[in-house]
Amino acid sequence: MKIVPFPQSEGPPDEQTLAEIEAALRGESVGASAEGWRELRADVRTLAPAMSDGVALTLYESIERRAESDRASWSRRRLTYARGVLARMRGAFAAGRRHPALAAGACALIAIVALIIVVGNGPGSSKSGSSSASSSAHQGQPHSLNTHVEAPASSSGEAGSSVPASPSGELQEFSAKQGPSRAKEYMHQGVGGLQATPESSSTEAQAAAAGGEPLSSRVQQRAASLTLAPKPEAVQSVADQVAQLTVRAGGFVQSSQVHRQRGVGASAELRLSLPSARLSAALASLGRLAPTREESQSLQDITDEYGAARRKLADAVAERQALLRALARASTQSQIESLHARIALAAGAVTRARTAFGAISRRGSNSTVEVTVLGDAHAGSDRSTLSSGLHDALDVLKALAVVLLIALAVLVPLALVLALVALAWRASRRRLRERALS
Amino acid sequence: MTPTEPPSPSPGGAGSAELDGSTFERLFRECARDVHGYAIALLGDRVGAEDVTALAFERLYGARKRLDRTRGTPRAWLFSIARNAALDELRRRRRQGVDRLEPERVDLESPHSGRPLAAGQTRQADPAEAIEQAERRATVHAALLELPLREREVVLLKFHGQLTNVELARVLGISESNAGTRVHRALTRLRETCAELARKEVA
Repeated sequence: MKIVPFPQSEGPPDEQTLAEIEAALRGESVGASAEGWRELRADVRTLAPAMSDGVALTLYESIERRAESDRASWSRRRLTYARGVLARMRGAFAAGRRHPALAAGACALIAIVALIIVVGNGPGSSKSGSSSASSSAHQGQPHSLNTHVEAPASSSGEAGSSVPASPSGELQEFSAKQGPSRAKEYMHQGVGGLQATPESSSTEAQAAAAGGEPLSSRVQQRAASLTLAPKPEAVQSVADQVAQLTVRAGGFVQSSQVHRQRGVGASAELRLSLPSARLSAALASLGRLAPTREESQSLQDITDEYGAARRKLADAVAERQALLRALARASTQSQIESLHARIALAAGAVTRARTAFGAISRRGSNSTVEVTVLGDAHAGSDRSTLSSGLHDALDVLKALAVVLLIALAVLVPLALVLALVALAWRASRRRLRERALS
Repeated sequence: MTPTEPPSPSPGGAGSAELDGSTFERLFRECARDVHGYAIALLGDRVGAEDVTALAFERLYGARKRLDRTRGTPRAWLFSIARNAALDELRRRRRQGVDRLEPERVDLESPHSGRPLAAGQTRQADPAEAIEQAERRATVHAALLELPLREREVVLLKFHGQLTNVELARVLGISESNAGTRVHRALTRLRETCAELARKEVA
């Protein structure tokens, strides 16, 4: 028998040997060696029984049927679509790997957008400061607090709290006599405001009765300032509207000053006293009169001062009542005269204590608002300017970026986990398959 | 082209064209017999090979829109799928305690018994030459069976699949140089085993 003349080669495969084998199998080279490789391939291929045409046809038909059923399956189509999307994503990722500069640029863009959002919503933002001030004031925790809101005004119209106010600006009293529920009701009205303010007209006995008891709520003094910027010719009109609105809100104008100078413009300064419980609503109404350029609010806790004044009044009243009782029991003329003198002194002390208590009560129940009205030739037209449009567009972009970031924050870790699971699953399957060859 | 000579894959056909219906049909015509040959040589039985072939084409059809042509030709994808299906079948048989079957053989005395004659082809007239060819193929068959399964698979993929080393690397999930080394090692061992067997026969 003839020995099959297979080509011989020794040593590890080098590039040339591999290239020769490849060329021989592609039919691109001639010679005994190349012929030997081709003959070997032909022999190996001959060893496998060929598939008959009938089997091939059956196979093709079965594949076609399966493909048809696949086409009819809606879920399969969705799955195929999802796979297509994944394939495109893989392609984009591969493109990113091929063009690292492009990928780096995209990453930088995302980082810049994220930075803008983070800086824009940071703790220094005036709007967030306002909201935190509001929430803190509700809790009554800080002793004093200042908020400052730049234009545009964003005061939300607070629900009109109906604190009854006397024409003199004094609020009604919510002491133990009126019950805790009524006091609690007022405690929840508005930011700050007076929540337990005895009225001077409701007799000193009430103050005396409550004098020894600790205050159940905080008393806060509030103030605000507002700068409105209407058109120069509307300054007077806006100042008038401010005064009218103040009266409607139960307050009064402490002082008012309007400047008008040819060539320079017009301005007005008003000092208002408003019920604290209606301050937020009043500020919101004031802000609607003209574009707000600046707004600030401050809050100071005066509970200690209030309590001290109340105790002082209660002590004075108690002393006078004790003297009156002693007077009723007095029998001698000298005792009566002496008690009269002391009662006169006590009455003076009660008057002084009542005055001090009334003053501090008014500080808690009323808020001082300083309104500055500055004529602005560009007022009212900024809404239609290009900058306004750009500002709105930026806001929309910011919102979109926030949504995108949130979505990414959820999806990226999920995708990473899924990718890891998929990789592990694929590696495990590959290992198991390879073991079939062992 | 002899009957056992593989049809050279059209460079612009299955490899680069869109894998739509007609391209898929062409790919089926070009590759079905090769996939079947590879599967039958690996699994050893005709039924299993037909299952694997059908499965491979079905999966390829299902994944036709996901084909990434930068990562290989459809032919390489097809053989990758076929290999996975064949290995899964081998695993299934192993789990069920069915040992690998002896590869089904064609009648080596008849040089064209395994494959139909192409148009214009004639059977060999020289009986001596036919006998010599049959003996050589018997030697190759015996040598192939002596190869470890892992190396035999490389030979089958190389010869039945007509894959380049790059495509082979893609199918096996290894580097190109590693694929070249495996091909060279397997072919060298096959050739040496053939020579050894032939020498024994002569002796």
